[in-house]
Formats: sequence, C-alpha cells, structure tokens
Amino acid sequence: MPHDEIREPVRVLTFPRQTFVSLLVFCVFWEVLSHLAPVLGIPPFAIPSLVRIAKSIATITPIDIVVTLARVIGALIASFVLGLAMAMAMYRSDRLEKYLHPIVRLFMAVPVVSWILFAVLWFPGVEFRIGFVLVVVCGPVFMVDTLDAMRSVPRELRHMMQSFRPTGLQFFIKLMLPAIVPTIFTSWKVNISLAIRVVTIAELVGAVTGIGHQLSVAQELFSVADVFAWTIVLVALLFMLEAIVARVEHRLLRWRA
Amino acid sequence: MSVPPPIDVRGLRKVFWQTTTGQAVIAIDQLDLTIAPREVLAIVGQTGCGKSTFFDLMIGLEAPTEGSIRIGDKYPHADFDHFRGKIATVFQQDRLLPWRSALDNAKLPLELIGMDEDEQRKRALTWLKRLGLGQFTNAYPHELSGGMRQRVAIARAFVVQPDILLADEAFGHLDEVTAAELRETFLALARECGSTAILITHQLEEAISVGDRIVVFGKSAKLLADIHVAQWPKSKYALLREAIQFTLQNNRLDPRLKRIGAKAKRKKKR
Repeated sequence: MPHDEIREPVRVLTFPRQTFVSLLVFCVFWEVLSHLAPVLGIPPFAIPSLVRIAKSIATITPIDIVVTLARVIGALIASFVLGLAMAMAMYRSDRLEKYLHPIVRLFMAVPVVSWILFAVLWFPGVEFRIGFVLVVVCGPVFMVDTLDAMRSVPRELRHMMQSFRPTGLQFFIKLMLPAIVPTIFTSWKVNISLAIRVVTIAELVGAVTGIGHQLSVAQELFSVADVFAWTIVLVALLFMLEAIVARVEHRLLRWRA
Repeated sequence: MSVPPPIDVRGLRKVFWQTTTGQAVIAIDQLDLTIAPREVLAIVGQTGCGKSTFFDLMIGLEAPTEGSIRIGDKYPHADFDHFRGKIATVFQQDRLLPWRSALDNAKLPLELIGMDEDEQRKRALTWLKRLGLGQFTNAYPHELSGGMRQRVAIARAFVVQPDILLADEAFGHLDEVTAAELRETFLALARECGSTAILITHQLEEAISVGDRIVVFGKSAKLLADIHVAQWPKSKYALLREAIQFTLQNNRLDPRLKRIGAKAKRKKKR
C-alpha cells in the first residue's frame, strides 16, 4: 500500500546548531590566537584578526570571482559533455573501450601540476590553458563514473526495455540516461570540488585574473589576511555550487524512496 | 479486433557457449511446436529446462542456433522492428522503471511506438483503471505493494493490445490470493484483447487453471507432453496434475496422459 506518512521535506541547505557552534568556537580560538601571537613568538601578520580578514573580504574584486566561476562552470560543462559522449561510445563498443581505457587511465594518473606545466608550454592563450587543464582533469572522472553507471543498469531493466523493441536512441533516452542520473550528480559534486582546486592552481601559475591570481598577489604581498579572504571566497563558492547541484538533484530524483 | 498470426516453431535449437570453459550447453534441442491464434498456452518445466531461453527466443532477443520461430510470415529476431507493439511481456519481477510513475510506466510501450501524447495518456489511464489502479496513477513504484506493481506491469503489457503476450513466471512471486486474482484478470484481459498468450510457469495449478493447452518441457526443452486442457473433465484435474508431475520428475511422458488424451479425442470425434 502507498505510504501514508507525510515525509519531511529534504533540506538541501542545512545549517544545524552544531555546525554553528563549532564554527563559533573556531572563530573565538582564532581571534584569541591572533591576539596572543606576539606573546607566542609568531609574527602578527601570520595570524590576522577576524576584523582584518573581514576588511580584506570587503576589498575583494567581484570580477575575479566571476572569472573563476565562469572558468569552472564552462570547463565542467565541456568535461561533462565530453565524458558522457566518450562513455556512450565505449559502452557501445568494447573494442573502442579496450583502446581508450588505457589512455584515460594514463591521463588520470598524471599529476595536475604536470598538466599545468604542459599547458603553459604547449598553449599561448591563458584561457585555453586553464580550460585544457580543467577538462583533462575532470573529463576522465565524468567518463569513468558514467561508464560504470551505464554498466550497472540492472540487466532485468535492460531486458524488459529491449523486449518492447526500442530504437537505439529510445533505449538511451528512456532507460540509460534516467538510470545514470544519480551517478551523474555524484560525479558533478566530486568534480566541482576538484575543479575549484585545479582552477586555483592553474590561475596561480598562468593567469592574470581570477581567484588563483589574486591568491598569488596576496602571497607576494605577504598579506595573510588577503589569502584568508580569497580562501573563504573559494570555499563559499564551492558550497554554493554544491548546494545548487544538491537542489537540482533533489528535484530530479524525487522518485527515490 | 484483428486475429493474431499463428506461431510455428520448427526444429528449434539453441546452444550457448560457456565463457569460462568454452563448453557448449544445449538449452533447446529440436523443438517443434505450433500455437494457434488466441490460444492460451502454458509452458511448464523444471528449472533449467530451457523455458526462459524459449521466452527470449520468442521475444526475439536471442537468435536460434538452428531452426526457426515463425510468427505469421515473420521471424521475431530477424524482423525485430516489425514486432514493435505486437509482442508484449510480463516478467516475474515487475521490472518497472523506478523513476517513472505508474502512469508513465504503463505508457512506456506507447511512447516507443510513437503514439500521440494525449492518446498515450488516455490509453494508459484506461488500463490502469481496469486493473484497479485508478487512485495510484501518480504513485512511484516504491510507493506501491508487490501486487500493485505487478498490475502496473500487466497494464504496461496490455496497453498496446498486443498480438502476442508472453508472461515469464509472472505471478510466481506473489502470495497465492493475489496471484490467483491477477491470473484471473490476466486471462480475462488476454481473451478480451484476442491475444495469443504464452505463460511460462513452474506451478502446475497455474498452468491447469489458465492454459487452454499445456506443454511440458523436459531437459533441453524436449517436448514431453502436449495437453489440451479442455479435453480433460474438471473432475480429473487432480489426476492431470499428478500425471504432469510424474512426467516432469521422470523426464518422460506419463502413460495416463496418453491414455486419457486419446480417450478424450475419440469421444470428441464421436
């Protein structure tokens, strides 16, 4: 029988009391430490007070946030499309998978820093370099996750679907795509976090705009408060993107028990 | 209501090769069978006798190694697309798509044949209502009981009003009361639609109560017995069950089946 109980709506953005308390304790500890720094023999600039960090946050240039965000979103979309297309092709052709899989494994084993250096050496355009690094790092993750998800679609469902004789496209749209949606969301969450970290390093090395570049400037100026301010922005950006994905996920996967 | 084409199985053989050992496994060996239009045929057999392979060959997902299955003048595997919307299936598990509501699951085959959206909805609603699910059209599979989910699966099969209906142990996992009720509904709907129905089952009660005809498969789908249920008086059903049981256990025809079948035939002729 259908469940009669009223389900509590799933909260996408939660901020429980415990989180608030632990953050508050951390802030108090930090503030105390910043005041005690000279006594403990730590240079005062190394642990700036919360007021100093707040002042740095107030001076943050929104254009750098927008640029970084655009790079992350653009690269994630490109990686997703590429990863999905490759996964579909590999799902359909075992031979193609046998050839492509070792290459993908190789790409995934290369450290991010190496990709950044290759990009700097190979490509003159800054945007292309950053895009390349992000796609080459995130694309294989999307591909591997999607391919695994496609392989995990229960045989019974594939059998049932085939018994109704769909075309290849119908089979993919009506069965495979909806079946892999939960994995796609998980993959997006993993890749958002990865992309934020990678874009920061890429911008740190080869860009003149973006949060990574601003972090590099702050480091050159020995402004720990600015480093903190930009780091907080990065973390906030990550949480915001994750929250958006979680909201869309909750909406699209409401069929789940 | 169009008459479904007859089914003619000739010299059917299906061999599988084991991936690990490379050894050949004969799932079906030289099967000959004719199924008349609108007949309700129950296939019984022990586990591993090739019933499910026969099911896959009938729906065209597997190609015969030798021999053929002909439906009218077409072949379910070779003319795969021809049978879109003409063959429908009900499986042991409901196999509903969990992200689709009952209504969306029921209209899936109609989407695949490209029917107009309004018509899809109308037809699926009609069938769900006929199966007593009018109140649950928007429910997701996890919100329905096992019996209700199987009803949706039945609605999904009937919604295209197929020529041929195949049910693979469709009621085997349900409790006896629900199974009996669904069996009855299934049979009534199949007769009303004028479909040829093939039920694969290991439950003799189900085969006797549903089938116009029962075929008993031995190992490698060897046809051990072909019984026209109508030739048996209801008072002899217990004997029939016993004789089929004997046939299954000994992998050879029980003489009582031959005797009573022949007697019934003679009586009919007279």
